[in-house]
Amino acid sequence: MRPTRPKQTLTSMRQSFGDTLYQLAKVDPRIYVVDAGLYPSLFLEKFKQDFAKRFIEAGVAESNATGVAAGLAKNGKVVFLTSFACFSPALNWGVIKQSICMNHANVKIIGSHAGLASGDLGATHQMLEDIALTRTMPGLHVFAPLDAVETKKIVTTVSQSHLPCYIRLSRPSSENYYDSKKSFTIGKSYLLHAGKDITILGYGPLLTSVLSLDIRNWKLEIINCSSLKPLDEETILKSLKKTGHCLVIEDHQKIGGLGEAVSHLIATSGVKVKFAHLAVDNSFGQSGTPELLYQHYGLSPSDIEKSINNLLSQKS
Amino acid sequence: MQSLRKELRLDLLDLIYHSGGGHLGGSFSSLDLMIAVCFGEIFNLKLDKFILSAGHLAPALYVVLAHAGYFPKEYLSSYASFGSILQGHISTETPGVNYSSGLLGQGLSFSAGLAIGSSNHIICLTTDGEHQEGQVWEAAQFAAKYHLGNLINIVDVNRYQIGGSTDEIMPQGDLAAKYVRFGWTVTEVDGHNFGKITSALKKATHSNYPNCIIAHTVFGSGLSFAKNNHKYHDVKNLSEDLYLCAQRDLNKL
Repeated sequence: MRPTRPKQTLTSMRQSFGDTLYQLAKVDPRIYVVDAGLYPSLFLEKFKQDFAKRFIEAGVAESNATGVAAGLAKNGKVVFLTSFACFSPALNWGVIKQSICMNHANVKIIGSHAGLASGDLGATHQMLEDIALTRTMPGLHVFAPLDAVETKKIVTTVSQSHLPCYIRLSRPSSENYYDSKKSFTIGKSYLLHAGKDITILGYGPLLTSVLSLDIRNWKLEIINCSSLKPLDEETILKSLKKTGHCLVIEDHQKIGGLGEAVSHLIATSGVKVKFAHLAVDNSFGQSGTPELLYQHYGLSPSDIEKSINNLLSQKS
Repeated sequence: MQSLRKELRLDLLDLIYHSGGGHLGGSFSSLDLMIAVCFGEIFNLKLDKFILSAGHLAPALYVVLAHAGYFPKEYLSSYASFGSILQGHISTETPGVNYSSGLLGQGLSFSAGLAIGSSNHIICLTTDGEHQEGQVWEAAQFAAKYHLGNLINIVDVNRYQIGGSTDEIMPQGDLAAKYVRFGWTVTEVDGHNFGKITSALKKATHSNYPNCIIAHTVFGSGLSFAKNNHKYHDVKNLSEDLYLCAQRDLNKL
């Protein structure tokens, strides 16, 4: 399989986030930012400059920033709480539980630099546990956009809804695969490529690496599960019934991520599927380019290809 | 408010005795502060908001809310039982409660968020033990930065927590001086003197800086056996003897 369109210039999810929020804030005066000291990394300079009263800088104090965001939200604001994923939703998890979720506060938690993709920053900053932390939280929705285009769609959609949510962003720029004409619907997955032999599930830029695999023997069905919670169980099950094979890949710990959610779905639905899961296995990251890190942790294109071939050569 | 104090302390005692337990020491130390906020005729509680940060002081807040008519007094004995609207730690499911809480240290941040861009007063009640949480100090610097003159933090300084005296667990130093250094307007009062509390609250309603009222209170105030005794932080199944003793103590007020 080859990319369905010619190589594009790379674009940044983070810049897409900052630009989108700026455009939304122009027409929606309820939109506020509570920032935990990292606004330049989230491309919020323009927001800060032009909407100074709606830009609250709480400094590198994520717990307080989270409480402030919740209080603002209870006064009718739509609050985007911005930081890196390794700080928020990690350091402030108990504040997210009580001040945001138990108080039904309309806060959108933006966690950037998630996964091994943050590269040279190393283990502390490569947040690999965020999906696990946020999936378990009652009432919290969890989204992980595929690319810059989907980031815009998701940020726009959640700004118009009342739900508290977490949006996971990646650091590096990447190619866009999301159809800009297609809207994003909460709880719906997005078919990147239709096939009949194996269902490949994932989210974020890592999933797009599957599109560049040169696999001719098999027809891959690639589904972008950007809505991690609620998960599009119906579409996933339909695909699994068709293919009978499932590979989940994610730039996250094996425990608590999409792979666990899907294996639970398989076990409880009774559908017969050969299942494999590529993810970081109970270890921390380290410095390196994303490509070298994916090789080291078993998430490289050749690891994915090997896993697909292994699964499909098994007798059903 | 003096006569109300006696009535509500007896209600509080009944709640703890009949429901099977509750955080007694802090509820008795903070009750007068809540009475002053809710019945001192200083605030318009339809617009101004009272945020109880220390959610384990639920029993004190519940007797105040019942007296204010948010729910019948008969509900009080159902405190913390299955299916009750009166949860062990406060929840917004209860009429009159503005903030679900139980995890210490978060209420001041939430109050600061409510205070930003609002002209209403936000009155937050925290405890001295709670100031061991770093988030409280994050909120303190934040409120000073944003000149939240409409924010009032009442600190119930009863000097005890579950495992002993706060000085023994984590020496606090001069809390008032710390708040002054953080850029707050600070008033120290006797937390059981309604005249002093209400005048401090009134003063705090005309301020350009966030306001801290350090209220020195007595842990287990009014109860001879529980006074300054950390073993009564949270009681389970108060004996009939102690209940009768407490009634006698409170009726002397």
